[in-house]
Amino acid sequence: MSTRFSTTTKAVPTGLVLTLAGELDSATAPAAHEAIQQLALRDGDQLVVDLSGLTFCDSSGIAALIAARSHAGRTGSSIALAAVPRHLSKVFGLLGLTDLFVVHPTAELAQQAPAAEH
Amino acid sequence: MCEADATGGGGGGDEDGVGALFSALLEDSAEDLYENAPCGYLSTLMDGTIAKVNGTLLGWLGAGRDELVGRRRFSDLLTVGGRMYYETHIGPMLTMHGEAGGLALELKAADGSRLPVLVTSRVKKGEDGAAQLIRITIFDARDRRAYERELLRARQVSEAERDRARELASTLQRTLLPPSLMPVPGMEVAAYYHPASVDEVGGDFYDLFPLTGDSWGFFLGDVSGKGAEAAVVTSLARYTLRSAAVYNPEPVKVLDNLNTVLHQQYRGGDTRFCTVVYGSLVPDATGCAITLVSGGHPPAVVVRAGGVTEFLHTPGGMLVGAIPDAKFTEVTAHLGPGDTLLLYSDGLTEARPVGASRERYSEEELLDFLAASAATGASEVITALTALLTGFGDGVEDDTALLALSIPLPGSGDS
Amino acid sequence: MDVTTRNNVTVLGRADGPAVVLAHGFGCDQNLWRLIVPALAERYRVVLFDHIGSGRSDASAWSAERYSTLDGYAEDVLEICSALDLRDVVLVGHSVSAMIAVLAANSEPDRFAKLVLLTPSPCYVDDGDYRGGFSRDDIDELLESLDSNYLGWSATMAPVIMGNPDRPELGGELTDSFCRTDPVIARVFARATFLSDNRADLPKVAVPTLVIQTAQDAIASQEVGRFVHEQIAGSELVTLDATGHCPQLSAPEATAAAILEFVGAP
Repeated sequence: MSTRFSTTTKAVPTGLVLTLAGELDSATAPAAHEAIQQLALRDGDQLVVDLSGLTFCDSSGIAALIAARSHAGRTGSSIALAAVPRHLSKVFGLLGLTDLFVVHPTAELAQQAPAAEH
Repeated sequence: MCEADATGGGGGGDEDGVGALFSALLEDSAEDLYENAPCGYLSTLMDGTIAKVNGTLLGWLGAGRDELVGRRRFSDLLTVGGRMYYETHIGPMLTMHGEAGGLALELKAADGSRLPVLVTSRVKKGEDGAAQLIRITIFDARDRRAYERELLRARQVSEAERDRARELASTLQRTLLPPSLMPVPGMEVAAYYHPASVDEVGGDFYDLFPLTGDSWGFFLGDVSGKGAEAAVVTSLARYTLRSAAVYNPEPVKVLDNLNTVLHQQYRGGDTRFCTVVYGSLVPDATGCAITLVSGGHPPAVVVRAGGVTEFLHTPGGMLVGAIPDAKFTEVTAHLGPGDTLLLYSDGLTEARPVGASRERYSEEELLDFLAASAATGASEVITALTALLTGFGDGVEDDTALLALSIPLPGSGDS
Repeated sequence: MDVTTRNNVTVLGRADGPAVVLAHGFGCDQNLWRLIVPALAERYRVVLFDHIGSGRSDASAWSAERYSTLDGYAEDVLEICSALDLRDVVLVGHSVSAMIAVLAANSEPDRFAKLVLLTPSPCYVDDGDYRGGFSRDDIDELLESLDSNYLGWSATMAPVIMGNPDRPELGGELTDSFCRTDPVIARVFARATFLSDNRADLPKVAVPTLVIQTAQDAIASQEVGRFVHEQIAGSELVTLDATGHCPQLSAPEATAAAILEFVGAP
């Protein structure tokens, strides 16, 4: 896998924080899907997807985010997006994703309000 | 001196022994090496007449020394094609430059068979600098030629495979797009499809078709991903949209139905979705009324007769097929004479116009471009955008579909 | 485009002498004339050029349409003569350029004073009683030979060509392009050269003509040389005691002498 995309998973008291950084496109999306499938979510957890380092995201990346949403739903977890970059928030709005995901300015702020997402 | 001699002689005794052994081998092999070398040797006079030839070459040719020496020229040993090549290329080269190497030629053997060889020639000059004779070394190139033929054959096979794959891709692509748009009475319609790759089927689609009464349905969409899997979704989306429109022509319902079908189809792990603009149009006394619904697709553009451009925003319309209860919003517009409605896919608005560092082309830039182009009517708008895309060159990374509908100005002659 | 650049035209010798244009044949370039140019330049204004695709010509001027027949090459010769405003030209054509010269002279007879056809052949392929010396299969085989050699040709020859300390008379910048030929162009030129039939053009030649052949020529036999001589009314035939298809290389003195005698003093 090239260095232009990376995933990091971190356990926090409220659940997990998945950080996607770099360019998320058809070439790197499999790595994102892999990371999502590995997430050990438990009932009642909150999954925060931190996008602060995401420089590019095409339809393959959108599909990965939707897969993360489905994965969270299956495990009884909630999902929130954090730090959606300005260039992506416009596209997310266009695609109607803002109705599918709770969005927070930062991952830290997301962890402070998990209850509202259930 | 004596001692030194004695020592030298003693020391030299062993060396002489080994030296003599080598010397005997060498002396023995000097002529033998020439005669039985693993390559053919040939010397000719400057006019090509054979003066000397080794046993290896005679063996290859199946000829006797007497048949060749003083009687035949080097070019007589070649096939006709090789002889002409020798006369027009190699001969002049030897005269002007004194050597010519790495030449692929064929020798004719006495039994009529042909031997592929590699030939290197060099002119030998006397002390006065005058050319005396041509020395020619000939290597058996049967293996190399067979290898080259194999390479050539492999290349031909791979080229044929590539052509076949492209043919399949282009055939499949054609089934996903209407061969030509149906003419809509009182309107001008134009479309363009720009595939990003000749090897892969793209994921964009569009269509225009009659509904009940005098109303028409149309759509333009973009499936996530490309290649065969995306083509399956594209095909499913296209035919679902057409049958859903017949089942219930209300635009929001058409997308609801498509969403249900796509989501059920791909409920498993592999999420497949599309963005699409679906619309219906109903002609009226002054043009036509349009209703548009968007599912996560970039906003349609209206180019007014006076050159003013505007978006038809459909906020909140969701990706189609991603979740079971997606929401779609509706917008209405009216097209009068000279007005054009443009639907496009994001291959256009995500193109990187010049150089990799350049920002992607934006929807706002598209709006400004159309305003500045002064293009009026569906055909002119598509022509202007086709030229724009051509100008982007490799910057267009994704497939791009364009569909335009317009009401002709009075007296413009269009149907 | 400027014709003199396009065809890498070189003008040498006496500025006030008669214009002698030397047209090289298939497979080489104007360097093929190097050994006889000194003798001719003493008395004539010698004009050398490279056919498009050969030597240092501008290959970008090439088009398959114009150069798939010899007429395109003949037009180039006429354009060179016109650009230099040459009159009463002596046109010397070697090998295929002998037929190019015939076409040029038939097209603008007033432009030319004399023609010299060096080892000419109006048709290489046998046809009925006419013996060009080759079958159609032979020609196909030649075209195949060219295909298998051209790629290697430019790659392996270039280093050899760059310097030649043994032959200082060949020194200078011209030698580095010797026999360098664009493979695609060469293939089309080869087809035009070896598949043309210009026998019907010979009787139309209205310019005094000298035919020079060699005693042994694998490409254009003595029989073919005689045929050319017989078909061009009033032409002269000289058979040099030389071998090969390129007497300007194998017998430069005799070749120059024959041309000098035919063209005469300035």
